[in-house]
Amino acid sequence: MDFELNEEHRLIQATVREFAAKEILPVAAELDHNPRYPAEIIASAAALGLLGLTVPEEYGGAGLDGLANVLVQEELARASAGVQAIVTVQNSLVCDPILRFGTAEQKRRYLPRLVGGEWLGCYCLTEPAAGSDAMSLQTRAERRNGEWVLTGQKIFVTNGLEAQLCIVYARTEPVPGARGISAFLVEKSFPGISVGKVEKKLGIKCSSTVEIVLADCRVPAENLLGARGRGGPIALATLDGGRIGIAAQALGIARAALEECVAYASLREQFGQPIKEFQAIQWAVADMATRIDAARLLTYRAAWLRDRGERCTAEAAMAKLVASETAMWAAHRAVQLFGGYGYIQEYPVERFFRDAKITEIYEGTSEVQRLVISRHILGRR
Amino acid sequence: MTGICIIAGALDGKLSRSSLELIGGARMLQGPLGQEVAAVLLGHGPGLAEAAADLHRHGVGRVYRCDHPLLTAGQTDAVLVAGEQVVRRTGPEVVLIAADTVGRELAPRLAYRLRAALATECVELGVEDGAIVVRRQVYGGRALATLVVRTRPAVLSVKPHALDVPQPAPVAGTVEDVSVAIDAGALPTRVREVLREQAELGLEDAQIVIGGGRGLGGPEGFALLAELAKQLGGAVGASRPPTDAGWVPVNWQIGQTGKTIRPALYIAVGISGATQHIAGVTGSRTIVAINRDPEAPIFSSAHLGIVGDYREVVPALIAKVKELKGA
Amino acid sequence: MEIIVCLKQVVDPELPARDFAIDPATRRQVREGRPLVISTYDENALEVALQLKDRVGGKVTALTLGPQGVAGDAIRLALAMGADEAVAVDDPHGVGLLGVEKARVLTAAIRRIGRFDLVLCGCESADWVERVVGPLLAEALAAACVTFVSRIEQTNGGLLVRRMADEGFHQLEVRLPAVLSVTSDETNRPRLPKVKDIMTARRKPVQVWPMADLSGTPADGDAPGVEVRDVALPERTARCEFLPGDAAAQVAALTQRLRDLKLL
Repeated sequence: MDFELNEEHRLIQATVREFAAKEILPVAAELDHNPRYPAEIIASAAALGLLGLTVPEEYGGAGLDGLANVLVQEELARASAGVQAIVTVQNSLVCDPILRFGTAEQKRRYLPRLVGGEWLGCYCLTEPAAGSDAMSLQTRAERRNGEWVLTGQKIFVTNGLEAQLCIVYARTEPVPGARGISAFLVEKSFPGISVGKVEKKLGIKCSSTVEIVLADCRVPAENLLGARGRGGPIALATLDGGRIGIAAQALGIARAALEECVAYASLREQFGQPIKEFQAIQWAVADMATRIDAARLLTYRAAWLRDRGERCTAEAAMAKLVASETAMWAAHRAVQLFGGYGYIQEYPVERFFRDAKITEIYEGTSEVQRLVISRHILGRR
Repeated sequence: MTGICIIAGALDGKLSRSSLELIGGARMLQGPLGQEVAAVLLGHGPGLAEAAADLHRHGVGRVYRCDHPLLTAGQTDAVLVAGEQVVRRTGPEVVLIAADTVGRELAPRLAYRLRAALATECVELGVEDGAIVVRRQVYGGRALATLVVRTRPAVLSVKPHALDVPQPAPVAGTVEDVSVAIDAGALPTRVREVLREQAELGLEDAQIVIGGGRGLGGPEGFALLAELAKQLGGAVGASRPPTDAGWVPVNWQIGQTGKTIRPALYIAVGISGATQHIAGVTGSRTIVAINRDPEAPIFSSAHLGIVGDYREVVPALIAKVKELKGA
Repeated sequence: MEIIVCLKQVVDPELPARDFAIDPATRRQVREGRPLVISTYDENALEVALQLKDRVGGKVTALTLGPQGVAGDAIRLALAMGADEAVAVDDPHGVGLLGVEKARVLTAAIRRIGRFDLVLCGCESADWVERVVGPLLAEALAAACVTFVSRIEQTNGGLLVRRMADEGFHQLEVRLPAVLSVTSDETNRPRLPKVKDIMTARRKPVQVWPMADLSGTPADGDAPGVEVRDVALPERTARCEFLPGDAAAQVAALTQRLRDLKLL
């Protein structure tokens, strides 16, 4: 078993780390305190090729593997989870399903623009009454005059405000659950789609989270993504990759928390010595480092399986579950270690605490991940 | 081969300060080696007479004066041709060159042509057990390397401002005019223009220097530093990132590449303390660092540290200094 | 334009002080386990070369000298940034060569590469900081020489370059072939490689030449006329005294200390 990253992976990791340090880190706090869409950062990220990492060269991408994506996402999230949220949705929830399930024409039409950063994409699955039970969604799509007409309401859509392309999951068949759902590529310019409420959040503030309203939204027939009635499996296959991306996000946040703790523990003196001399602090740092490494190995393993085309649903769920819970725990521990300073916005750890929480919720809550994992072991009812 | 030869530059029409520093270096060698010191004065114009006199005033008796219209600022190729001709004619054992703009190109090229031993950017010169020993900063100023010069002739370049200008020690000296043949058409480089930047005048001579770094966030921060400098009677410089970003002129740069300063007080504002910057300021008597990051490496080199936002600290400092001056 | 860029791999100059150590046997910095980077100004030289190629066309060859396993990363980055090919001179004993020795080896390598219009290198290496390789290469290759160049433009019959000088800048006309050493400037900040180019770099040609195969190696010719006797760390200065409190308190304490030191 070879645990080494190859040379290209190392160079990619080093390059993104430097990019994040130069362009994201200096404004990360500002992006949280005075949230705005970081247009210039996303443009620079696009120029480097970070918005369509696994998209093949023929569509303008770098043709990298899922492991490279994990490395990139962790480095971005280390600097700003909000910026990384924007990038990971683009990669895993938009480019990836188009790559896997799109027609040649759809790929040709959309991938170059997404990869180049001209267009941002978003993923519209969740509804007010369909969260964890996503497959009970009610947005419907009817055939009318050779087109599809979509009606419904999607919420908690990341990138929804800035996106030009939305992947919308809607019910096309008169059957309940996953079997009745189809996926659609909906351009914001199509009639009948609009942005509704723009949410204010606890964390990842620079990434927009909005409601998307479809009111007789007319979508050309050729914008059906994948086969009709296959939207359920498409959504789930997409989530496998998405969860790996969130696991990487959580790794980045957790590592940020750990690095800040290590720096602070060396500098902060109480009772006549740097606090890193105290066992409680030493153990906290040891636990953090160990748990982060464990989460990282789970994440790498899930990416490796997916790259080989093997089933990875349970492994992706394990990675996301462990990484997100580790990030939340580590960020919480970090705030505590910093004491009063951990509560003050001038120090970054309170932001990690707020950013980490979402990783336990979106793309399937920790409860849903546990469901997925247990089904893999115990089988379905 | 005999003698220690100083290449004294007068390319701007007057004797460069670093040429005088070389005399100090030569003095470290001449006694123990039992060698005489001579100077090759290269330049153009009426100022050369005063330059020669200045050399005599500092104890260099024998001056070979080489006056040629091509020996002007930045014309290394001409200086090299002239320098090589004169050095071959006079045959010294050791040639000392100031590592200024021209000198740092001249020294290795002259050494190559003379097949001489070469040591550059020396900060100390001496003789130990009969051998010439020089010291130079390495690893961004973190360490000092000691080199022994084993063969002759030897070309040694001296880092400007590493040695002090020696005390005058006037001698009755001679000036021999040497004519050199320089074929202008054969020179592969030619200075088209010398652009003098609005220099932070006297950065290298100021007793109080305020340096600004990447932490200032942009060129506007330097206005604040300028005000502080005015109140303290000092000069303003910068570390590499502001000059690379174009926030301030390049010749404000303090560091290994850039100016070496040795003021009584150096205040580093928003400077992280990269080793190549530290290398330019370690000679300062008192270093004060102001930085938001308590981990910044600058604090390892500073005597006094203020962890804080310069946007709060510097105005407060300006106000306090004004108050104390007013009192 | 055929451009050769000399790149040196050094231990990261921003290494924390606690990781910096000198090996008394080699009288050089301990490299084992330390992160390696391309020497600072060599990256600027590479960026200048790439910008010139972008403007006037041609080819950029990256040339390194060092232990092969180590130089590999520098080459990969150079090719990812846009160099067309690379030559790695393998010196298995690694570092420790003085500038004059390196210049001899690089000269032999450049002669073997064949034709060139321009050789670029950093104005100084981040570790040994001798500032000699550029000028020595120019002499050995009978090329024009300018050091501390920040900008280059192509003109009829040659180049127009900007050299950083004590008093400001010099604009020089330079005939080709030329060897220029490069310093940093707002116009030559090294580009980050695109991830796509990191992958395609794999396909670019890299030649590895054992140093012993090149003439002009340190084994030939005269030994350098200087010898490194030792490399020592200067004495540690006193610990920094942090002035406590808010800005007002810190400023009050500072001005008091400056008055005590008769600086105010």
